[in-house]
Amino acid sequence: MKQPLAPYAFIAPAMILLLVFGVLPILVALPVSLTDMNLAGLADWSRIEFAGVANFRELVADDAFWQALTNTGIFALLGVPTVIAVSFAAALLLHRSENRFFRALRAFYFAPAITAIVAVSLVWGYLLNTRFGLVNHLLSTVGLPPARWLGDPVLVKFSVALVAVWRGTGLNIIIFLAALKTIPREYLEAAELDGASGARKIVSIVIPLLRFAFLFVAVTTVIAWLQFFDEPFVLTKGGPLGESTSISLFLYQEGFSAGRFGYAAAGTLVLFLIIAGVTLVQLRGRRFDADR
Amino acid sequence: MRRPGLALAALLLAACSLVLAACSGTAPAGGTPGELTVWIMGDSSARFEQLVRPFVDRTGIRVDPVPVPWDSVDQKFTTAVASGDGPDALQIGLSKLRTFADSGALLTLDDRTLREHPGLAAANFLDGVSPGGDPVSVPWVADTRVLFYRRDILTGQGLDEPPRTWDEVRAYARILAGRGGGGYGFHIPQWDSALPVIMTWTMGGRIVDDAGRVDFDTPEFHRAADLYLGFHADRSVPADPDFDQIQGFVSGATPMLVSGPYLAGEVASAAPELDGKWSVAPIPGDATHTSLLAGSNLGVWRSSGNRDAALRLLDYLSQPRTQLTWYELDGQLPTAKAALNDPELTADPLVSVYARQLRDARPLPPVPNWDGETGKALLDALNSVVLTGANRDTALQGLYAATGGTSVN
Repeated sequence: MKQPLAPYAFIAPAMILLLVFGVLPILVALPVSLTDMNLAGLADWSRIEFAGVANFRELVADDAFWQALTNTGIFALLGVPTVIAVSFAAALLLHRSENRFFRALRAFYFAPAITAIVAVSLVWGYLLNTRFGLVNHLLSTVGLPPARWLGDPVLVKFSVALVAVWRGTGLNIIIFLAALKTIPREYLEAAELDGASGARKIVSIVIPLLRFAFLFVAVTTVIAWLQFFDEPFVLTKGGPLGESTSISLFLYQEGFSAGRFGYAAAGTLVLFLIIAGVTLVQLRGRRFDADR
Repeated sequence: MRRPGLALAALLLAACSLVLAACSGTAPAGGTPGELTVWIMGDSSARFEQLVRPFVDRTGIRVDPVPVPWDSVDQKFTTAVASGDGPDALQIGLSKLRTFADSGALLTLDDRTLREHPGLAAANFLDGVSPGGDPVSVPWVADTRVLFYRRDILTGQGLDEPPRTWDEVRAYARILAGRGGGGYGFHIPQWDSALPVIMTWTMGGRIVDDAGRVDFDTPEFHRAADLYLGFHADRSVPADPDFDQIQGFVSGATPMLVSGPYLAGEVASAAPELDGKWSVAPIPGDATHTSLLAGSNLGVWRSSGNRDAALRLLDYLSQPRTQLTWYELDGQLPTAKAALNDPELTADPLVSVYARQLRDARPLPPVPNWDGETGKALLDALNSVVLTGANRDTALQGLYAATGGTSVN
């Protein structure tokens, strides 16, 4: 038996990174979630005590946990369809030409994805400030009252999601653009000869052929929004009244600000199960789709 | 074909085990002997280097200050505790003291440890800075809250003296808000959990009962809550959570607010043209004028290899002379009584108000997690009434339920 080793060597770096930073932490979180580990326990392991399922029981009874879970659901419902629709539309428009202007536009649309989140939050924080912000200033010039973009318990979800959509589209536009380039020109030309309209071509040819790109974007976007963290963390710190606290931010606050690692680990496992479940459903849906 | 593959695999395996070893290995705590790593909060580390230069010259102990942003202190501390690789000495915000002390990562500074460092004896410092039990830290800089007011705007409305009671503040705020043009009278920052506590203290109440349990269900707190919500009912304070404190004061939109000495520095640098048009006054109050005692302490990392040098540095930093220099350099108030009474310091009218206020100031109750739990519950209850129009009594019942089991012991 002489199995060539080269393939294993090539996948090893990715595998090791996945194991060390993906699988290992989840395996560690499992035992930690059954303990009362906190900062003191971290310094001296003999002070950690087994807590059974107490952490999970407390999670279920914790209003803040349910609020964060609900917020995350709302964020995902707002964000995922918007990101997919906006990136697809932008990619279609950018795909129309290859001239210098469109190439510049492509870079322009990608810029938010690579801009540092702290700079993004500072600028958006100023734009959306209730009293001193540009957006409310513009509203006032047309006679509209100021809105509390980051201060109203309902509006804040939309504001934070808006910033995240603005940041999240760049990468997906590139994925859609790359996929659009793989569509054989003959199909579109044949449809044109048959007299198909632009919209008809998109619905009947482009979208079906981009099915895999859509699946990829949908899966990664859903996961990203279920792990939503950066924007509320830097824009609102989860406020006001916890109305923009996502589940990841909640876990971060419990784990790293309050030092309750056991409790945060329990929450992490719940989040992991939710993400795994949603992703499995998505992949399964795709399989039925392909069998049809 | 096989050879390079095998070599590559071996190389990767070696690399991996190296990575894993780096993760699990415990680095020896403390730096090289003769060099102290010191965590300094905020952006003061460059000035700190200047402060300790005489100490470095005299003792030959090098000091390496590491700036730690206030926002990331929890993560940084957690990482240091987890890896066992901390600094030699560190600045600890009073609100973090309980957490840091509970972690067991700090050296206990009992009388025996401090025998050779008489400068660090608790009697030298302001009362209340050192918590009970086995101390793990010594006082370093003090901070308090006073009333800031725009003298020009107040006198423009015929209000010649700063308000002394909360009723006066409320009456003033109504008059000032009546100026129109989007102006308000007072500012209640919705992130400031100390303000409702100060209001309770100045009503003559406490938020911790004799048994050490947090108790908000007292007549004094009810009055404080009515005061807090009353400002909003009067519409004399902005209800935006993102209202900028400094811009509000400088622009005159909120001509009165409660804040600490750091705000004086911010206002002076943001609007030097306002010099002389604003001032500070002791915290208003009905029964007392008790304000918040905040600030930072200094501690020594338990597993530091440089304990003695670290203690010598702490001793140097606790000297009244050093603390006065630090006020000049960084604008942070001393904790040493001798320094606070220094005529050079109190010649500044602002500082004389701070120094007087510091004599009547209390720290927040040392509950396990003030910022994340008790203080947050307090703010959420009050602000839910402000932002969502929730029922006051229901919100307060929720607060009692959320904080009922919390104790300072």
